[in-house]
Amino acid sequence: MTTALRDFIKNPTPAELELVARYGAQPEDSRRERAFLAFAETGLPHRRMEAWKWTDFKAALKALETPAAASAKDPLPHEGALVFRFTPNGFEAPVNMPEGIRMVEQPGMQAFPGAENVPLGALAAALSGGGKRPATLIFEITSGNLPRLHFVFSGSGQASFARIVFLIRSGASLNLSESYLGGAGLTSTVLEFDLEQDTAINRAIFQRGGADEALAVTGIAHLGANAEMTQTTLSFGAKVARMETRVVHQATGAKLNLNAAYLSGRGFHTDITTNVRHGAPSCVTRQLTKGAVLDGGTGVFQGKFFVPRKTGQHTDADMQHQALLLEDGAQVFAKPELEIYADDVECAHGNTCGALDDAQMFYLRQRGIPENQARAMLTEAFIAEALGKADDSVREVLLAEAQNWLSS
Amino acid sequence: MRPMLKITDLSAAVGEDSEAKTILNGLSLDVPAGEVHAIMGPNGAGKSTLSYVLTGRSGYEVTGGSATLNGENVLDMDPETRAAKGMFLSFQYPVEIPGVPVMTFVRTAMNAQRKARGEDEISAPDFIKKSRDVAKTLNLDAEMLKRPVNVGFSGGEKKRLEIYQMMMLEPKFLILDETDSGLDIDALKTVADGVNAMRDPSRGMLVITHYQRLLDYIKPDKVHVLAKGRIIKTGEADLALRLEKEGYDGVLGEAA
Ligand SMILES: Nc1ncnc2c1ncn2[C@@H]1O[C@H](COP(=O)(O)OP(=O)(O)OP(=O)(O)O)[C@@H](O)[C@H]1O
Ligand SMILES: [Mg+2]
Repeated sequence: MTTALRDFIKNPTPAELELVARYGAQPEDSRRERAFLAFAETGLPHRRMEAWKWTDFKAALKALETPAAASAKDPLPHEGALVFRFTPNGFEAPVNMPEGIRMVEQPGMQAFPGAENVPLGALAAALSGGGKRPATLIFEITSGNLPRLHFVFSGSGQASFARIVFLIRSGASLNLSESYLGGAGLTSTVLEFDLEQDTAINRAIFQRGGADEALAVTGIAHLGANAEMTQTTLSFGAKVARMETRVVHQATGAKLNLNAAYLSGRGFHTDITTNVRHGAPSCVTRQLTKGAVLDGGTGVFQGKFFVPRKTGQHTDADMQHQALLLEDGAQVFAKPELEIYADDVECAHGNTCGALDDAQMFYLRQRGIPENQARAMLTEAFIAEALGKADDSVREVLLAEAQNWLSS
Repeated sequence: MRPMLKITDLSAAVGEDSEAKTILNGLSLDVPAGEVHAIMGPNGAGKSTLSYVLTGRSGYEVTGGSATLNGENVLDMDPETRAAKGMFLSFQYPVEIPGVPVMTFVRTAMNAQRKARGEDEISAPDFIKKSRDVAKTLNLDAEMLKRPVNVGFSGGEKKRLEIYQMMMLEPKFLILDETDSGLDIDALKTVADGVNAMRDPSRGMLVITHYQRLLDYIKPDKVHVLAKGRIIKTGEADLALRLEKEGYDGVLGEAA
């Protein structure tokens, strides 16, 4: 069996061989196999793949190794939230769950459509489960009055995988927060959201990983009629980190707010990749991504809107990416992409990348604010806009985390 | 007695080495404590450049001469250090700072200056009270102070906000760069009242303006004419009147 598995990936690296071995240890399952094959097609994504040309997991992750430091501390508040933890040893959920939420820990693998587009998502789907962790965790949401659901992902060891599916039933809404705190050499998590009509979700994502870790979070959402999704990401990156979100507007009137802030210090790489398909008429997308990068840090923004000729009519979409290079030696790569075939649409985009404004810096310093503090203040004000749509229960904490980073 | 601000033979250039352009060219000027000196001069003469060189804006290279505040060489200090020593510039073109509310900004600045001077921070209630008092004197709407600094402010509002900051920070040496331009008649009076309220035996002021009208309200002890990067004429308050009547050519022709 092992030899056959080896053939899954051409010229595998030690890390890929280890992943193949982990797959081999999972129970046999044709769905799992399909997902793993989707990953194995390319192996760990690398720079020769267009969608990964700036974020090379294969190069960053030669072998799967336990990182030097434990996972980061969770800054998001737990009070008043239903807390779910993916720990190194398993999965913990609240004992009592309120009405309107049903959780199913599926030991078997659920089909994973679209796996070929998200190699690391496919990997997460293929390798999640085992031990005390469910292969697929499914939440069915039928209420609009639930407390915030908070998920903590802290791994350990060489690798950690998880997969969660949210079914948000017609009329229901969800306030969701997720903390990705690293801890494992490779962490990959995939979340799928199915929003039926007239639903709403406000999703906040906090990510922090070690400088020797690789981390991927893949979100896939389908929005029904008049469904509204708001997402706010704050990402500090890792050796390589990919925060990828794919959204399909599936029925008329769906609305998406897709915001992210990335802050990359020396030795950290943060990738915000999004793909939004306007697969139904009269849907709205508002996207704002802001980044700040220090010397030796890397930021990547890849955004794509796809608006088909027939189904995409009356699309209203705006994509903005603005990055601050805080020091010489900071790197930002950006690729905003609008692929529009419908003619009656309003689509706009903007993409800027530059240093802090000299005139603003001088104005602050003339008033007595020291250079470092002035820089932090301007950067914080710049970043804050991208965090403004996060739920009240987490926004201040996200801001404070950004602020701490900026003033340290 | 030593003047509070003493500028001696100051030269400064802008631009990169190869294309450096000399703007200030051997400028000398003394402002004693307690006095208000006006600087007038044609467009492009170097008035704003002087204000930037004195406050430490980057991009201006001092190529000669000196400037001291109370005997201390300011030209080697960071802008924030000069601010903590009491230097304040009311900008000809105040800068917009999106995302930073006025109150937050001024309080941060005030506490940073206090910290640099080894003083205690101002308490929140004290700050708010002081802000309310200053805003009242300047006829500033409290709502305006919650908005981001200068963002969407009218030209005149920006100038009034400069004076608000000045009155809040209570600097020792004030440079007002065309604070009067853009102000309506009533606002000019309000701002001038604010500036006059700051007149003090321990405080010096340099008022850059094109118009006599401001000097009707803020009576200068001296008027200097800055042209081609240096002070070419100095007189009493009536010099401003003569300049307004005869123009620079008339007055300077006689000086040359
Ligand atoms: N960064 C720069 N690069 C090149 N030239 C500059 C720069 N800054 C200022 N100058 C030039 O220096 C000269 C003096 O400018 P400055 O702004 O000091 O004039 P001013 O006396 O304040 O004029 P105004 O009355 O119009 O405000 C002008 O000719 C201006 O074009
Ligand atoms: Mg000027």
